Amino acid sequence: MIVTYNWLKEFVDFDFSPQELCDRLTMAGLEVDSLEEIGGQFDSVIVARLENVAPHPDADRLTVCQVNNGREVVQVVCGATNHKQGDLIALAQPGSVLPGDFKIKKSKIRGQVSQGMLCSEKELGLSDEAAGIMILPADLPLGQPVFAALGLKDFQIEIGLTPNRPDCLSVVGVAREVAALSGAPLTLPNTVIAEIAKPIAEQTSVTIENSEGCPRYAARMIEGIKIGPSPDWMVRRLEAVGMRSINNIVDVTNYVMMELGHPLHAFDFRFLEEGRIVVKSARDQEVFVTLDDQQHLLTSDDLMICDGRRAVAMAGVMGGRNSEVQDDTTTVLLEAAYFKPTMIRRTSKRHGLHTESSHRFERGADIEMIPVALNRAAGLMAELGGGNVLSGVIDNYPQKLELPVIELQRDKVEALLDIALDCATIQTLLESIGLDVDAGSSADSLSVRVPSFRPDIERDIDLIEEVARLYGYDRIPVTMPIGTVDAPLPPKRQKVQKLLRQIMVKTGFSEAMNYSFIAADAMKKLGLHATDGRHLHVPIMNPLSEDQAVMRTSLVPSLLETVSRNLNYRSLDLQLFELRPVFLSQGDHAACRENLTLTAVMSGRREPEGWAQTAQNVDFYDLKGVVEQIAAELYLPEVEFSAAQTQEYFHPGKSCCFSIAGEVSGFLGEIHPEVLRRFAIDQPVYIFELDVEKLIHFAGEFAQFKPLSRYPVVIRDSALLLDETIQAAEIMAIIQGSKMKSLEDVTLFDLYTGKGIPEGKKSLAIRVRYRDQEKTLTEEEVSKFHDKLIRSLCRQLGAEIR
Amino acid sequence: MKEQLQALQQEALAALDQADNLKSLQDVRVRILGKKGALTDIMKGMRDLSPEERPIVGALVNQLKDDFETSFSARQQELQQRAIAARLASETLDVTLPGRRRVTGSLHPVTLVADEIVEIFSRLGFSVAEGPEIEQDFYNFEALNIPKDHPARDMQDTFYISEDLVLRTHTSPVQIRTMLKHDPPIRIIAPGTVYRRDSDLTHSPMFHQIEGFLVDHKVTFGDLKGILTHFLNEFFGTGLEVRFRPSFFPFTEPSAEVDIACVICGGSGCRVCGRTGWLEILGCGMIDPAVFDSVNYDPEQYSGFAFGMGLERIAMLKYGVNDLRLFFENDLRFLKQF
Repeated sequence: MIVTYNWLKEFVDFDFSPQELCDRLTMAGLEVDSLEEIGGQFDSVIVARLENVAPHPDADRLTVCQVNNGREVVQVVCGATNHKQGDLIALAQPGSVLPGDFKIKKSKIRGQVSQGMLCSEKELGLSDEAAGIMILPADLPLGQPVFAALGLKDFQIEIGLTPNRPDCLSVVGVAREVAALSGAPLTLPNTVIAEIAKPIAEQTSVTIENSEGCPRYAARMIEGIKIGPSPDWMVRRLEAVGMRSINNIVDVTNYVMMELGHPLHAFDFRFLEEGRIVVKSARDQEVFVTLDDQQHLLTSDDLMICDGRRAVAMAGVMGGRNSEVQDDTTTVLLEAAYFKPTMIRRTSKRHGLHTESSHRFERGADIEMIPVALNRAAGLMAELGGGNVLSGVIDNYPQKLELPVIELQRDKVEALLDIALDCATIQTLLESIGLDVDAGSSADSLSVRVPSFRPDIERDIDLIEEVARLYGYDRIPVTMPIGTVDAPLPPKRQKVQKLLRQIMVKTGFSEAMNYSFIAADAMKKLGLHATDGRHLHVPIMNPLSEDQAVMRTSLVPSLLETVSRNLNYRSLDLQLFELRPVFLSQGDHAACRENLTLTAVMSGRREPEGWAQTAQNVDFYDLKGVVEQIAAELYLPEVEFSAAQTQEYFHPGKSCCFSIAGEVSGFLGEIHPEVLRRFAIDQPVYIFELDVEKLIHFAGEFAQFKPLSRYPVVIRDSALLLDETIQAAEIMAIIQGSKMKSLEDVTLFDLYTGKGIPEGKKSLAIRVRYRDQEKTLTEEEVSKFHDKLIRSLCRQLGAEIR
Repeated sequence: MKEQLQALQQEALAALDQADNLKSLQDVRVRILGKKGALTDIMKGMRDLSPEERPIVGALVNQLKDDFETSFSARQQELQQRAIAARLASETLDVTLPGRRRVTGSLHPVTLVADEIVEIFSRLGFSVAEGPEIEQDFYNFEALNIPKDHPARDMQDTFYISEDLVLRTHTSPVQIRTMLKHDPPIRIIAPGTVYRRDSDLTHSPMFHQIEGFLVDHKVTFGDLKGILTHFLNEFFGTGLEVRFRPSFFPFTEPSAEVDIACVICGGSGCRVCGRTGWLEILGCGMIDPAVFDSVNYDPEQYSGFAFGMGLERIAMLKYGVNDLRLFFENDLRFLKQF
């Protein structure tokens, strides 16, 4: 909502400077978004007097003027013809910038010095008059900025109104707040209409068929109008509050709406068939063309203003093309009505028509403002359009609105706001914004009658808010709540998430956050099988773009895009993770499971680039090491990596699944080269994805201590020659299966194929640590253990000792 | 023999002096005191001495040994020190070469800010709660006193999944979910991802909020001011100027916006604060009785407050980030800075 400083002053005589006014409004809950001086850019255009006007010696159409600017006489060359010696004119001094980025400079025109420009009204944005320069009233002081001298200096104040304050969608509404803030009284515009004898009742009638949608409809008629441009003052005011001038009649409806907040509509009476108004619901499938030439297909939920035969306006939203005021209109029927807010809102939404009028009606107009606005507009139409107002008002208002009366307990104010106000103070505060306050049913309560312009006030809490606001939030004391505190430690779910983030960061990963919505075909790039459940997305009904059309069922596509983008920026060594939900459809769209997922990606070098660092790239085992660390730190039971199961987007030979206690809980591996190609990635990428819900389920709470042995360790190394196909897990299974109690630990420490090793074989070195809890092991004992272990490996795996 | 011993002593001391490394020093020792050394040779003459002379010469031999050992140790220490000094002198590094770096990870700035806020409120007895991102209309709107067809719905452009399911537009539905499950007193802080159908330089269709609320007997607007002033001072620094001004949210009444003195210009006015000297930082208010109605709390018995703020905005102010889009582009050069 935009108002101007001077317009407010018409209704309340306050002392605040423009900036002060804005600060006060902001602190009263009407947040000022901007304050701008109107004509402020014209401060260097000043009042000056033509001391002498002489023809230009070298140009027939130009004059050379001696101009008194109040301090000195300067010379200006001018091309106009309507000026003469002694006239006061608007002098744009060098340095001025006129609309269209027109910079005024000192110059020479056909050999004559010109120190500025004499301006027309158009050049100052005051009117469309460009025929000659602007001749100012003779009594203005020389040297003063023209806008100030003409009393045109004003300030545009833009307020970001919250939807609960429809009462402030007008200059008068804001003025009411200013009155409360300043203590000065509010004066409403006073309209005296000279009616002609001809009664409106004989010319037209109003029938309300849908009184739920339209509780009140009033009309006046003005005839003998001459359509023409509005006077400059009105054009300026409308423009100052962001509206465009159309003609004197339409402008009056807009002007009164901005001034009093009540939307009005003017019909050209000659186009109203049967000369009457009927308010009723539309027929389903009815077609209606609004003022802006848009065609709308109506439903029976749309409330329409009709004449005897057809619809002529979409109630409260926009008028119809068929009854619009035109250049030759002479008689108008002026409408001021009240429509049910939800009805207007639905119609406005359904047809995509958000107008100044619908904006006000859907938030709640003031039903009692109808006669005031109607008279104000009729009076202005008669004045500006030269029309005659027919006698009488049609006012169809069958069920007068009952104003709510709210009982306010003083102690409730005190309990909630922590301020001890007496009833008299509360009364004064509430009366300052126009509420009607009486003594309540007890000595410690008030009875408040809420005026029709405040539809937002319905309960005592709404009154308490007004008291707080008017008293000033800054005067409410700062206290700390007293009460029972029972804050349990974070649940496992939160602890595991926090721990996972910590592990990822300490193993070198940076946290990424991608949008939860992706393109519908993003999963196709992963090459998933057609029947894969991850193709079943939860779609968004109204996405911003095709790229953000569905909720993601996997974090992999987003992370591959992140990799691709970073590679483009030449960040080649990447370790990123994302810990966020995926959205898994459960058949029909409505049912969706949000499943927390940890997905991490590695690519490029293992160590940061440096003079002393190896330039090796990460591989599958770097990735696996991180998963193992997670398993260790979360105390996950029975963790297993198995190549038996993987995903289509992984390299089939370099990927596996991760399971906890026999439940598949994730996958890891190198991304399939074909998938990388689709994401325009040209270096190997490794990804693991873990189901965090499963991690949370299986995570152990804390470590289980194993006692330390005080006895020495004995280490035995052996190199085994094995078939290449034998997996490490098979070796470990045999070793663990041996159940030797003195076997402390086994490490696989050297894997070798190539020279000296037969084709199809590999050499694997194992280091076994033996230590007993109760005694020192002798060499003989250890040799016995180790020989037995190696023999069983040789027997079960066909291994040989190298 | 006496003379022989004296001569040997002189020779030995001279040889110790001449030895210029630890190896030759050892050689001297072997030559003098070793099994086949000079002293052993001389000692062979002992058996020719009279019994009276033997103890005297024996004492001389011991004296010689002691003197030698003393000189030897002194010389050895000296040579050791010299050797260390020489080694140190020969070994130098270019200490200006960069050190060996480990790969380091980093948390997203939104996570960092959320963690810090949660930490501050945890100390005030608030517990963390979570809720789904795809939310029912009831929790996201209806129960928060935002009925269908109400203009307040325009305050938040909404992504719809179906007629009754939305991507939550704020973290406030966590209030409803929590209050339906627990009776007062409660103190909850709820960080989360939220969505609005809006995308430009200053709006992201996905962003993060943190919601907090407290319900108990006799909670006042002053308590709301107290908790939030405390939080803002903890987070942005003590002595920070804070102001509360009236505003509107359907689920709180009275409602307030909270401004802090601009952390960039300190209140004198700059581009970041739109030359007002104030930065809008969060919205809050006393929980509306209509909300209590929808969770079956008795508004006559209990009162409470709620607040919410945008985490990206807080992170932008804290770290001086000047472009909202950076939070979701996941450029490693950005992420690694935190």
